[in-house]
Amino acid sequence: MKKTIFYNKHKNLDAKLVDFAGWEMPINYPAGIIKESGFVRDSCGMFDVSHMGRVEVIGKNATKFIDKLLPVDVNAINVSAAKYTLLINENKEILDDLIIYKISEEKYLLVINASNTDEDLIWINKVKEDVNIINITDKTGMLAIQGPEALEKINLLSNDAIADLGRYKYKEIKIQGMNIFVARTGYTGEDGVEIIFNNNDAEKIWELLSEKNVHPCGLGARDLLRVEAGLHLYGHEIDKKSNPIDIGLGRVLESKSPFYINHEYITGIDIKSGTETLIGLIIKDRGIAREGNEIYINNKIIGRVTSGTHSPRIKSAIAIGKIDKNFNNIKNTVKIKVRDKFLEAEITKLPFYRRRKK
Amino acid sequence: MSVPNNLKYSKDHEWVQINDNIATVGITLHAAESLGDIVYVDVDSMDKELNQFDKFGEIESVKAVSDLYVPLSGKVIEVNENLLNNPEFVNEDCYEKGWIIKLEIKNKADQDQLLDSEEYKKII
Repeated sequence: MKKTIFYNKHKNLDAKLVDFAGWEMPINYPAGIIKESGFVRDSCGMFDVSHMGRVEVIGKNATKFIDKLLPVDVNAINVSAAKYTLLINENKEILDDLIIYKISEEKYLLVINASNTDEDLIWINKVKEDVNIINITDKTGMLAIQGPEALEKINLLSNDAIADLGRYKYKEIKIQGMNIFVARTGYTGEDGVEIIFNNNDAEKIWELLSEKNVHPCGLGARDLLRVEAGLHLYGHEIDKKSNPIDIGLGRVLESKSPFYINHEYITGIDIKSGTETLIGLIIKDRGIAREGNEIYINNKIIGRVTSGTHSPRIKSAIAIGKIDKNFNNIKNTVKIKVRDKFLEAEITKLPFYRRRKK
Repeated sequence: MSVPNNLKYSKDHEWVQINDNIATVGITLHAAESLGDIVYVDVDSMDKELNQFDKFGEIESVKAVSDLYVPLSGKVIEVNENLLNNPEFVNEDCYEKGWIIKLEIKNKADQDQLLDSEEYKKII
């Protein structure tokens, strides 16, 4: 199994380690998933996300290639900005969801899912034209620092270097001589940043954050937080066969460029004739509905659960489900088959949790 | 890891404390730590006569759900109602506050199928 640059930190902190997409990653530390999710909602937590793929697209024709590869409006992305988007292949299969950062007209950074990194790279290399594709995952570390106090902590460490950093913007800053890429992005529904740095600086950065009482949090808390925030996870809410509009991601298909590989698909009729939709489910009975569980109305299957967990904020089990569009009525009561039981649940709008704006 | 030596253990990671013909049952620290944060404990066998190692309920954490088995044959005569509303007791204190049921023991010889603390330590 692959190990991130923080592996020894996790070990020393007595984390429970699991195989995640071929990486040995902490699912939780001794505090446990629920407390760790609370650190992020109430103060500040950090996640090792070094397993995520970091890929640079470099060359004179980089902007032209991004215009071909991704459904973004490439002219609308400024240097220092980030954008959430989808990687779709020539067969209309969604290979991944990702964040693209524009470093310059000749350089972009893509942050992709660990589980999809290999397949994404095969596809990107297959269609690349006159650009260099450089996988910097193994040379760098990445941490997500999330929570209402996250920005403040980074500002404390950097002489207010990110005091003016807007949402979905990034900046290259220095902390004690170390070069750190700081993006105001995240995957928890909370304010915060994701930072990228050289492997050599990883230990020092972890120590500095620990000294500032940034609590380590595992992938278990990360999953709980993203479900509360109604955020998609590839392999759950998104898969190869997903119709982007069905899963609520029509908004990311911004490209009007005729050079985009899937120009016809995203501007055509097929994509608009989807039959499913994603919904939130609040479980009224005792028990957690989990991925794959069938959702019923009047003894008829109308869909399946894509992700489920227990929410300390909602104080009950919650789930995201994909159902037949025709049954998407808020306040519809459904039954979810969990092993040999049927749990009652209410359909609700996503997200379950929205942070309080300052 | 805490494995009190006054208790008996099943291979399914339940502990049992025997007082005359009453057995108090819970899950071990090893089981609690493997499951992580417990969010539901459900017992659907109150007043039922169960055979040794029959299922008596379910315990669910954020990560996973697990069946609970009686370590001895007997009748479920009490459920820890406090625990049903405070499932985190299993994580906080699985051997005291986190007890799950009491059984009226039917057959004391069932104990021969259980492990003592030293034997249990070897399988975890």
